[in-house]
Order: sequence, then structure tokens, then C-alpha cells
Amino acid sequence: MPDLTRLHVTRAAGPTHGRLRGRLRSQLRLLGCAALLISATFLSATGSAHSSTQSVLTVGTTYYIDSLNPFVGIEPQDDTAYTMVFPQLVQYGPGLTLQGDWASSWSASANGLVWTFHLRSGRWSDGVPLTSRDAVWTINTTLVDAKGPTAYLAGVLNDVKSASAPNASTLVITLTKPSATFLSNLEQFFILPQHVWAKYAGKNGAGLKNFNPGQHLPMVSGGPYTITQWQEKGTTVFRPNPYFYGPRSHAGAVALTYYTNATSLLADFEAGNLDYVEDVPYADASKLNGIKGVTVTYQPGNEVTNLGFNSNPLKPRNRELLSTQVREAFEYAIPRQQLVSTVFGGHAVPWANIMSSFSQSSGWVNPAVKPLPYDPAKANTILNALGYRRGPGGIRVVPAAKGRFPQASHQMSYRVIVPDDLDFDGNLQFQILQTAFQKIGVKLTEVPGGDASQAYTMITGPNGKYLNADMYTWYWHPYIDPNFNLSVVTRAQWNNNSDTGMNDPYYDRLWQQQSQLTNVTKRRALVWKMEAYLAQKRPYIQLVNTDLITAHRNSWTGFYPNLWSYGKAYYTSPHPG
Amino acid sequence: MSYTIKRVGFAVLTMFIAVTLDFFLFRVLPGSAVSGLRCQNCTLQFKQAIIHQYGLDKPKFEQYLIFLVRLLHGDLGTSVANNQPVWSDISGPLLNTLPMLLAGTLVAIVIGVLSGVVSAWRRGTLVDRGSLWTSLVFYAMPTQWIGVLVVFYVASVLGLPRAGIQSSTLGILGTASTWATIVDRTRHLILPALTLGVGLYGQFALVTRSAMLETLGEDYVLTARAKGLSNLTVIRRHALRNATLPLVTLIALSAGSIVGGAIVVEDVFSYPGIGLATVDAINQNDYPVLQGIFVVLTVSVILANLAADLLYMRLDPRVRRELDGVTG
Repeated sequence: MPDLTRLHVTRAAGPTHGRLRGRLRSQLRLLGCAALLISATFLSATGSAHSSTQSVLTVGTTYYIDSLNPFVGIEPQDDTAYTMVFPQLVQYGPGLTLQGDWASSWSASANGLVWTFHLRSGRWSDGVPLTSRDAVWTINTTLVDAKGPTAYLAGVLNDVKSASAPNASTLVITLTKPSATFLSNLEQFFILPQHVWAKYAGKNGAGLKNFNPGQHLPMVSGGPYTITQWQEKGTTVFRPNPYFYGPRSHAGAVALTYYTNATSLLADFEAGNLDYVEDVPYADASKLNGIKGVTVTYQPGNEVTNLGFNSNPLKPRNRELLSTQVREAFEYAIPRQQLVSTVFGGHAVPWANIMSSFSQSSGWVNPAVKPLPYDPAKANTILNALGYRRGPGGIRVVPAAKGRFPQASHQMSYRVIVPDDLDFDGNLQFQILQTAFQKIGVKLTEVPGGDASQAYTMITGPNGKYLNADMYTWYWHPYIDPNFNLSVVTRAQWNNNSDTGMNDPYYDRLWQQQSQLTNVTKRRALVWKMEAYLAQKRPYIQLVNTDLITAHRNSWTGFYPNLWSYGKAYYTSPHPG
Repeated sequence: MSYTIKRVGFAVLTMFIAVTLDFFLFRVLPGSAVSGLRCQNCTLQFKQAIIHQYGLDKPKFEQYLIFLVRLLHGDLGTSVANNQPVWSDISGPLLNTLPMLLAGTLVAIVIGVLSGVVSAWRRGTLVDRGSLWTSLVFYAMPTQWIGVLVVFYVASVLGLPRAGIQSSTLGILGTASTWATIVDRTRHLILPALTLGVGLYGQFALVTRSAMLETLGEDYVLTARAKGLSNLTVIRRHALRNATLPLVTLIALSAGSIVGGAIVVEDVFSYPGIGLATVDAINQNDYPVLQGIFVVLTVSVILANLAADLLYMRLDPRVRRELDGVTG
């Protein structure tokens, strides 16, 4: 065992040590100088990139652009890129109303089958004229193998038969049947430059998905911007397209930067490195409010959260959950206001409609559909009346049932799937629901749902038959036109977008009717009827309608947060304030 | 020679097992690449087209055989999420991660070895206890937690960027010089590398301290001191050199945990490396990309271990002699 104390002593003496210390000092000095130089170079560079970029709008987001190919990209931010880069016939403008984009006007034949669009004059960013032939090529190519490589874009051309171009500025689209959603669907259809994309199409468009525009920058664009830099998990740069047919951008460039988490995003925003933040978490909004020179905006209608029920009429267990009266009792037991203040920091409102307030300005939200008040006593009364008496531990017991679906007597104890792809605290929300349901003698147990894919598989169950699950908490993002949101509870959406397993032929017929009603007033009446029907049947108990929270520095103004992925004004409107 | 062949053979077998596990593990999870898609355009026909295109409707064993054959041809497949070849999807992130990994490991080794040496040298003193506890605390602390602390308390003090690999405005309205780009990228590298290094250094410090204590007790150290050599020389030439052997093993063995650390560090700093690509592929159930990443990472870790085995033989004559004796 060495005596380390002695080693310390010897270290302090001897001529070698003195020389060493001298050499060490000079080495340290050199190292110090080098460190200073490096520090000066790397640390003083702060802000140097920003000084010459006064008209660059820097945007921070937690959504990334996965692909610049509209036949491939399915992430929400992909649509932002497509909206800025590709012409659309129509788009949503401020106020969320449908308006012309590339099309300056349009008209429909008396039978609603032939639509004629008059197009604005424009060029692609490489100078090639933008004509109706580009639109014809894109539409017809997409329709050739609509169940194959172009299936994603083809989804919005459901009722389209063909397209033709009588001249360079006129486009004619023929439908197979009258459609109420044709125009709103076109908002999601992007016109591609034929002279760029045609050579990749191959037979029946088979090669279109393989084309990666990100490898051919700057992108050939017909929209207000072209993309000059694309880093999927970094910064994507949008530069103005000088040949754009519409209103010019006020920004010299838009730099959209992806952050994996809101913590880094907000820290960078607070440090002044970002001008605009797309989606502020509910818990952080109040913190940003206190920062000088920053405006926080609250836009109602970000998403509608819900407590969903497996509504398959053939569900073998816990069949009492199919009862509208049981669901009504459950709704009385839910403290929505507590959810609003605790889970969403006050940035939501109690809600009962399957459509969000996002669709209110278009008149699609039935004002008569309102949430029931929080009234656990009434909930208890309903459950008592149904004969579900409290048993051991205060948990209600459902009597045995006979008939086609026999059930043994069992407790009202249910498993609730909670996915982790929520943008709010799903566990906290569950705890509030669990406590609230205890008061009415119903036991809830949380089942971690994993990501969206895993949660959906758990809900649909083995072979997608919707037989096992009881309940879950989730949400729907709003679409302005009600067609999609109303479709998710149809039988046709089983194993696709249906998370309820609802199978109601009467409702399905209503949905078919509304999708073909071209008279807006009549369609609105039918849509309102369907909303009321769903609120009464409760395949979901809608919980709250959340706010979309954004923040921007006051050096910029003119933002339309709710136009995210919906309209070109989202990036063309902001200007230095 | 036979030792080398044995090690290489073992490495190849390990790779095969790991690759097989990589394939089946992801498929055990509920859900598929399309089952979680919920959007207006996510029609049934769109989902079926994807499933068919990527052969996900084929029996699992057939998919496995196709995967193996492609892998033998160096083809990692095509991403379900963006339809691009997996290699082109992961090569960029790999190149981004590599400098961060190297810098982080370097930081860990430098701080760890210095701390371990000082601790061993000053064994039993306040410095030793302080160093020991600090190492243990950082060793036990989750790397992402260190990252969050760095974002909040170090980034603003040093004026360093908290996220990304490059300033969002660099070269947008003009052309950034190569030097400006290097400086900018290096600035973005510092905090992630520092976080990774601080998160890893504890284990290096503890192993160095332990190895140093052992070597400092050896007779040859006593002899060196008796010869009148300075303390620094004794440490540098005699004690530390012999204490590096377990360090080499540790570096190789911790290759996996270093990559694991990189995953969480990249998530905190939005650093577009292989860790972020992994998290993303998991979220999207993008099996081909996940398989590709894990094949590359598994092979890297196995090769690192193989290199350590072979290097150990070169570094330690006792092992070599022992093996020579065994093999005759």
C-alpha cells in the first residue's frame, strides 16, 4: 500500500519539479490564450447571423416538415409547405371563409356536375408559365391510380371524374355526382408543375412517390414562396416567389425552425431568437404574457377533447356503457370547468359538439348543442333509477342480463385508454375524471395507450372488431367543413378513422345525404341535426374546446394563427410592425 | 490468430442475432405504420396502398427473409414515412451525431480522467470526497435532466444556442462563408456535447480513480518514486498509463450507452442527429428506418467491442502472453 501522504510531500521539493512547474505554467498560458481565442470566436458570434436579416420572419414550431412531396407527406406541417409552394384553386382566408386562390372565380352547371374555374395569370418560380394544363395534368394523374401511389391526394378528389383545359386560363372539372364538399376539399389539393413532375410519374404515376423535391432545391414553386433550404428536423427557408399571382409576401424570407420540445422552443423565443411561436403549451401561456414586447394570442378551436366509448352494438362486455342514459349520467358527473382550469390553464371552454368553434364562422356549429352542467347528484339519480345500486367499496353493480347478449352481474368498473400523443396532460385529466366518477360509484382504471398507433390498435381490438375496449380519452383536430368530423363515427370509417366503433345505419344515411346536399342552407340544417343526434347518443362525451395559443414579438404584426396550413396569408400577411 | 478469428466469429454471430431481434421486436408492438393515422386524407385506400407498397401485408417470416436478403446487399429498405431510401434518411443524422458523440466522449474522458487521477492522488481528502460525490451525482443524474439544466442556466450565461445544429437565419439573405458556418455549427455543438460529456464523465472518473489506486500501490510505482522521479512523471508514465487498460474496456462497453445518451441529448437540444431520427421513427412506427438505425448502431457497438478486445490484447502484454500460451 503506498503512502500517498508522502507522495504529496515529495511533490513540493526538488529541482525537477521547479522546471516542470515553469514549463507547466508556459503550457497553461498557451492553453489559456488558445481557450480565450476560441471562446472569443465561438461565444461572441451570438447574434451575428441576425444582424443582417431584419426582414427574416423566424418561426419556431414543434411540428416538422416530413416531406416536400404532397403524395407522401402526411404531417400537419407538410401542408404548410404545400400551401406556400403550390397553387390551390381555393383556400381559406382570414375569418376562415373559403375564397379563391389561383382561381379568381368559378361557377357550377345547373346539375352541379360541371365546374368551371377562371384562373389568374402567373408563372412558376423558374419562369415557366403556370397554366390550366398543369392543373389538368395533376388532377388526371392523381385519378389514374387513385388507390395506388396517388391515394393520399386522391382522397380529396372523391367525386371528381376528370379535368380539362379549354384554354390556358380556364379549367373545367367534371364530377361523378353532386358534391357538397367538392370546393372545401379542393382547398387541400395542390397543383404541381407538370414540366417538373411529369418525368417522375412513370406508368400510372407509380414513380411520383419516389420523387424527393428536397433534393432539387430551390423548389419550382407557383405559390408565394419557394423553398431554398429544407432540413427536416432543422430549419426550412421560404423565399418569395417573384412570379406569384397573388399578394406578395412582406417578409424577405421565412425561417421555420423545428424544436423537439416546447422548453427549448420557448427558451429561444424568450432569448429573442424567434419572432413567432406556432403552438404555445397551455401551461406556458401565462409566463409569456409577462414578457415585454411579446403578444400572446388565443384562438378558440384548437381541438375538441373527448371521453370516447366503444359504441359497437355487438360489444359483449359492460354493455351498460351502450346506454345513452348511462352516458348522460356520466356527462353530469364530469367537472368540465375543473378540467379547463387545471389541465388547460384556463385556455379552453366546456364543449359538447363534435365540431369545434373553428367552424363557427362558417355556420356549421349548432348553437343548441351545449354541455350538461356539472351535477353529480343528478348523475346518481339517473344511475339509481336504472337499478345500478352501490355495492362493496361504494362501486355500483350492474344486475345480470339475459337474452342475445347475456352478462353476469358485475361492478361498474371500466378501463380507460389514455394515449400519450396528447398535447395536454392526459394523466392529470384522467385523475380528475377518476375522482369525479368515484362520486357516482363508478371505478375507472387508467390503461396507458402508448402512441396514436398503439392506442388505436387497443381501441379497435383484435382483428379490428371493436369488441374489447370500454372507454378512452382522446381528441379531434378541427376541420372547417363538417364532412370529415361527422364521418369519423360512420361504419365506413371502421379501422380507418373510427375510434368509437359506432354502427348506426340511420346516422350513416344522414351523413351520405349531407355530403351530397349542395344547398348550403339545407345542408346546414342537416349538419346541425346530426350534431344534436351525436350529442344525445354520445359516442363521445365531448369535454372541452381548447384554444390555439401563439406568441409573437411586437416587431412583427399581421398574424392569422388559425390559417395554419389553411391559407397562404399565414405567411404572406405578417409584416414588420 | 485463433483468438482473433474467434472474436470476429462471435461478433458476426452477435450481429445476426441482434439484426433478427431488431426485425421482430418492433413488430411485436401493437399497431402499424398506418393504424395511428387520423386525418382527412388518411383514407382507407391510402392506408392500404402504403401497407401493400411496403409489403407489410406479407407474412412476417417472408418479410424477415426479404429484409435479410436486402441487408446482405447493403439495402436497408425504404422509409414508410417519407418513401426515401433508409440510408439517405439516416446518413445525414448519423453525420450530425458523430461530431457530437466524439466531442461529448472527449469531454467525458478528459474530465473523468483528470477527476479520477486527482481523486486517487488525494485519496481520503476533501478533494477526493468532493470529486467522488460529484462523479456519483452526475453518473446518477438522467442526461436529459442535465440537458434541461444546461438549457436554463448555462446557455444564456455563455450566449450559446439552445437548439438545432445551425442558426435559422444563417446565410438566408446572402451566402454564409465556410468559416462562419463552421463557427456557427461548432457553437451549436458545444452544449449538447457538454451535456453528454458531463452525463458520462462520472463513470470514467470512478473507473480511473479505482484503477489509479490499484496502480499507485504497485511496486514499480514505488521504484519510480525511489528513483527520484517527479510526481507528475510517476503519474503520467507509470501509474496512469497502466490504469488506462480498464478505461479502454469501459469506452468500448459504454459505446451503447453513449449512443443512448445521445438520443436524449438530441431530444432536449432539438439536435437533428440519429437519436432524434430514432425517436421519430418510433413515433411513426417506421419499421424500415428503425431497423436501419438499429442495424447501424448494433454493428457499431459490436465493432467497438471487437476493437476493444483486439486492442486489449495489443495493449496488455500479459494477455498476449497468456493467449500465446493457450494457443501454443
